[in-house]
Amino acid sequence: MKKRSWPHHASLAFGLAVALAVEAAAGDTPSTDTSGWKCMQCPFLQGSDTETEVGALAASGANASYGRYTGIDHSGTYVDAAASGQLRSDDGSYANYDVERLGLSSRDGYVEGGREGRYDLRLSYDGQPTRLYDTAVTPFQGSGATLTLPPSWVAAGSTGAMTQLKASLAPVDLGYDRRTVALLGRFFASPDWTIFGEFRRQEKDGTGITSGSFLTQAVQLPEPIDYVTDSFEAGAAWSGRRASFRLTYSGSWFEDNSDSLTFANPYLPIVPGSTQGRLSLPPNNTLQQLAGAGNVQLPWLATTLSYTASLGTLKQNAAFLPFSTLPGSTVPASGSLDGDVHLSHYALGIASRPLPNLNVRGNATYDGRDDQTTPIAVAYTVTDTFPGGTAITPRYGEDRVRLDGGADYALARWARIGVGGTFDDNHYSPGQVVTNTQDTESWGRGTITPIAPLSFTLKFGNGLRKASSFDAAALPPAENPLIRDFNYAPRDRVFSTLTGSWVATSALTWTLESFLAKDDYRSSPLGLQSSHEQRTSTMLTWTPRETLSAYIDAGYQRLFMLQNGYAGFDTAPWLVADTERFWNMSIGAQWVPQARWTLKLDYLLAPSYDDTDSTLGGLQQGFPQNWTKLDSARLEVTYRWTAALQIHLRYAHEEYNSRDWSLDGVGPSTVPNLLGLGLQPYHDNVNLFGLTVRYDFDTVHVRAPKSE
Amino acid sequence: MHAFAADAPPNTGPAYSPQGADTCLGCHNNATVTGLFRTKHARPNDPRGPFGHGGLQCEACHGPGGAHVKAGGGPPAGMVVFGPKSPATVAQQNANCLGCHQSNAAHDWASSAHAASNVTCVSCHTLHVAKDPVLSTVTQIEVCTTCHQAQHTDLFKPSHHPLREGKMACTSCHSPHGSTAPAQLVKNTVNETCTSCHAEYRGPFLWEHQPVTEDCSNCHEPHGSAQPALLKMRTPFLCQTCHEGAGHPSIFNTPQGLPGGAPSAYLLAGGCINCHSQVHGSNHPSGRALMR
Repeated sequence: MKKRSWPHHASLAFGLAVALAVEAAAGDTPSTDTSGWKCMQCPFLQGSDTETEVGALAASGANASYGRYTGIDHSGTYVDAAASGQLRSDDGSYANYDVERLGLSSRDGYVEGGREGRYDLRLSYDGQPTRLYDTAVTPFQGSGATLTLPPSWVAAGSTGAMTQLKASLAPVDLGYDRRTVALLGRFFASPDWTIFGEFRRQEKDGTGITSGSFLTQAVQLPEPIDYVTDSFEAGAAWSGRRASFRLTYSGSWFEDNSDSLTFANPYLPIVPGSTQGRLSLPPNNTLQQLAGAGNVQLPWLATTLSYTASLGTLKQNAAFLPFSTLPGSTVPASGSLDGDVHLSHYALGIASRPLPNLNVRGNATYDGRDDQTTPIAVAYTVTDTFPGGTAITPRYGEDRVRLDGGADYALARWARIGVGGTFDDNHYSPGQVVTNTQDTESWGRGTITPIAPLSFTLKFGNGLRKASSFDAAALPPAENPLIRDFNYAPRDRVFSTLTGSWVATSALTWTLESFLAKDDYRSSPLGLQSSHEQRTSTMLTWTPRETLSAYIDAGYQRLFMLQNGYAGFDTAPWLVADTERFWNMSIGAQWVPQARWTLKLDYLLAPSYDDTDSTLGGLQQGFPQNWTKLDSARLEVTYRWTAALQIHLRYAHEEYNSRDWSLDGVGPSTVPNLLGLGLQPYHDNVNLFGLTVRYDFDTVHVRAPKSE
Repeated sequence: MHAFAADAPPNTGPAYSPQGADTCLGCHNNATVTGLFRTKHARPNDPRGPFGHGGLQCEACHGPGGAHVKAGGGPPAGMVVFGPKSPATVAQQNANCLGCHQSNAAHDWASSAHAASNVTCVSCHTLHVAKDPVLSTVTQIEVCTTCHQAQHTDLFKPSHHPLREGKMACTSCHSPHGSTAPAQLVKNTVNETCTSCHAEYRGPFLWEHQPVTEDCSNCHEPHGSAQPALLKMRTPFLCQTCHEGAGHPSIFNTPQGLPGGAPSAYLLAGGCINCHSQVHGSNHPSGRALMR
């Protein structure tokens, strides 16, 4: 890899120096005399305002599918509560808060306060549930880092022969919760300077899905998730009249409270003593970065120069596990990896308007990933079963330079044309199958605006990725030397987009976006051969009056991929074609028939289809179609009893059904050499009723107009 | 912040209104206009804001209204009206916003994709309301997908990030005001952006998987997918775009491997992942094949 490194401190100093010079050159400009502008009629806010909403949600038919991100994951009743408010004083002190979904695990909110123009503090919380499956079953017992089998377990060579399997199965809920707490503070040292700092803690715990194997016999497992990531960012920002600069330090510390998952072997051991397997879990790691960024508005041709420089290190030094669970197994002599990756990012951007109707812009970016970890030779064991030989751990790095730019010229008020392109030059570290790829892309576009609020933009482009010669020797011995890993593979690309928008009247707007792309990898003897994308969406909104609005939107996407391979060198190549199609159609309206009532109705239908065909020797075999269908309707009614009191009623119905041939009918013992979790495709049929009362303790008042 | 007072001639002629906001509110005193006073732009004690001491108030954004006042209303000559039907050009509309924000929130704006596409600030931002929809995690997606409609369709795909559930926003990953990263990401690279939440995949691992270290989007489609875990294709086919070694990596998979035929661990449940579960990298000394 050709090493390219730009001096970090020099680039930062250069940027800052230019900023200061330009700022100094800008000098003072005369200001408007506003001493007589009293703003006596200005309705500034003062006092306090609290709005609370309390009620209940009743759900029927809810499960992990519906509750995946909502937290409404079972039938029953949930508290539905929210509150928001503010407090403002005459001297500029203030506090705001807003909390939502308090009765659900997806609750979030913040409280912030400070003094206008002096400082502010913000404390926030965000809960994010992720429910995976509630249809899983497993014979494994225990939780956390060790999974065992029941004492009565009878090991066998295949799942069908595990006589105690059915009796040992117990349900296990799969999913986890992510909770993030953040404290942000800013101090406005002067109108030009801001000092800021933020601490963020993210906890993620629950049970995920993993799997382990003993050579050719596999087992799906519930995986313990118990992560904590602490992040800290601090810095200072300076904003001048013609320039700005920001210096930031950031650090992120990831900690996994489990370093491994040990599981009993449910199969007959292939070799004596191979009764347990052990997986490594994500190791603790640390990322620290120092970044400087800014911009300068140069006094010529409306030119803006922006720059960024960032240096970081990514480290990992968790203690190694033993090579295997076999008796007498040791850990590698080094004890830990001492992983050390240096990350660098430099960017320079320029945008200018040399003519009133000509805009030009360009960016140059460098990204480096320099893995300085020392490769080590490891005498590994295959799946806690038998010695596998010695291998040297590979390290991967890249140097990437990206240039992109473009220009747009307004031919007339109703017509614009533009051209642009990118050049991406990527050098890979030694030992990878290619040493360099170069990706060039160019495009042209035109925009016409036949009448002021109606415009269409059509864009065409093509791209070409070249790769250096393919080094089959860098592949593991078993790989076919004809394969071209798709991210390295030479590629031809053509693409086009059409966008349109029409603000027909102040009440009616229409937008359109359509995208076509075709990637051709046919110079690859084996692997991905081509992929096509076709995406079209449109939306119409209608707001005839303040009390009525409606919308309708629809989208369609078709994604196609074709790949090939050889099951053996003496056989004909096989082909696999995969076609995915998506639709979404939604319609909705909001109507305020009279001052006390607001009605809102939304309907959504979103099906997807996935067809896979495999072909060998001219014989095509189609997999069963995978499909999903989301069908959802929602009605909300708000009644304003008084100016302060509102009653909010909502009803939602959602049906979600899916077919997936990789899961349909696949029980724990369906596959002889896979003891599965019995996961089944998602289905839900949910009715959700909500009734809440909202009360506005509004004591905020506008500052009374002042009299002279 | 300086632009509120800078670049303007002394208030000796009709350029600016006689009494600032008091003049404006004398005529434009309705809820649509006064909604601004529920926002950060109307804080009288904030010297950085247009209504702070010495600020140009309404005319900080709308430009000098002296001629408009002198004419007794009518076409706002010399001022800036915002929106798609504005006679002002995109550059003229944005210049007033960038006068303050180019040096902070939008310091990469000039070379951004949105600037290149002639997007106005008010295409996304609504200024005269207490809560600008684009600044709320729950409602931002409605604003962004007005133009980015393909991503609107992506929201409803079986595997998606929790945007339509209001637990993420587009700005969780993208910087709409510009950035020096690809696709205007908030971090320097795709991987730095993804691992700011998914730090468990950050490594470096003892045994790395090259496409993982290079770019998460080699395998994942972040806006939504029909396949599990936002994958571009399902296993084993995704893996076979790079792995075609002798033996099982290159096996020809057919419907015969489904239940009812000869159920295959290469095809069902996790496919390749059934054994090679550590696809993001392994720190196990025996994790060479990413099986431990």
